[in-house]
Amino acid sequence: MIVLLGAVLYASLFTLGVLPRLGFAPGYVLSDASGNRVTSEDMRGSVSVYTFASRADAGTHRDTHATLDGVQHALTSLDLGEIPVKLVTIDLSGDVSAGETVTPEGVQRMLLRGPQESLRPVVRDGFGVWYDPAPDGSVRYDPAFVVVDGLGVVRSRYTIGMPDPEIIAADVHSIIREARAVSGAARIAYEAAHLFQCYPSR
Amino acid sequence: MVVVAGSLVACGDRYEPHGTFLEPPMSAPDFTLASAEGEVSKADFEGQVVVMFFGFRNCPDVCPDTMSRLSRAVRALDEHEARDVQVLLVSVDPERDPPDQIQRYAETFHPSFIGLTGSPEQIQHVASSYGIYFEQVPTNDGASYTVDHTAATVVLNRNGDTVLIWSYGTESQDIAADLRFLLNR
Repeated sequence: MIVLLGAVLYASLFTLGVLPRLGFAPGYVLSDASGNRVTSEDMRGSVSVYTFASRADAGTHRDTHATLDGVQHALTSLDLGEIPVKLVTIDLSGDVSAGETVTPEGVQRMLLRGPQESLRPVVRDGFGVWYDPAPDGSVRYDPAFVVVDGLGVVRSRYTIGMPDPEIIAADVHSIIREARAVSGAARIAYEAAHLFQCYPSR
Repeated sequence: MVVVAGSLVACGDRYEPHGTFLEPPMSAPDFTLASAEGEVSKADFEGQVVVMFFGFRNCPDVCPDTMSRLSRAVRALDEHEARDVQVLLVSVDPERDPPDQIQRYAETFHPSFIGLTGSPEQIQHVASSYGIYFEQVPTNDGASYTVDHTAATVVLNRNGDTVLIWSYGTESQDIAADLRFLLNR
């Protein structure tokens, strides 16, 4: 009984602070602001924060970007080590806005876009984020932030209002600490992401 | 004293899987796809360890290599172990992989393997829900296409939860060892 209690205590000490695994982030093929093809495999090995916005809804778009700015700022004070962090905005309208930027802190901002037939399965079915594009180009949507680890697993999801950027940054840091704590095959997504993709010879 | 005792118990003989092990397991999406014998769903395989690989018949290298490794792994198991393992090959090229042909392809690697396909929309939905991306890419001569796709293998435990992910190139003996580990959990 004492041994059993000890084992339970040991296990619980090591699981504190680990974010749950909520499900796979969707596989996708979209384009960045320069028209380059970007796939979900390009995110493997990185910790990614996804959000969704439309320039047609200026208010929410502005608030979403302000939150991402806050996350980026919060991350500058954290030790991210060698694991890349990407802040990804999926443009729900298909329009091109700001180009891709790379910050000196190593946190990459990306804008992804695609036709509605590509966006719908990724955003609605994949990320579980509701949005409703109208024929006039306007888009109704709920702000959402989804944090995905280097294996492509959703670890946290914020779908009510604008979350505290510090909380999202803390999630990113938690995932990075977790990745650093494992070794061997458990780290392969971070150390050899290319082993997860098939590029048949053409 | 209690913590030390627990630590000694917890640390002894701990098996390290050869892929990314998800502890606790993660809920896996349901699916319904077409096999050569009709529709199959994830629930049909409850009680078995399910190995899912997303590939296609015309894949020149990664897919046959992965399927061969899975075949060698299953053949390394004894009979009753192998009975509790189901390998599923889900086609990411549904336009060229009808049910009978993807099944014939899967069977060439092992008679127990099942090939699955569906409409392009079904395949897109199922693949994406498992974090698998795929994309048709024209060949250099423009006369045909090949398919770029995620090469990971997803493993579900007997409860239908995602528990392990192998990268491409995982050795067959390591796959077999991981399967035994999951069968005995």
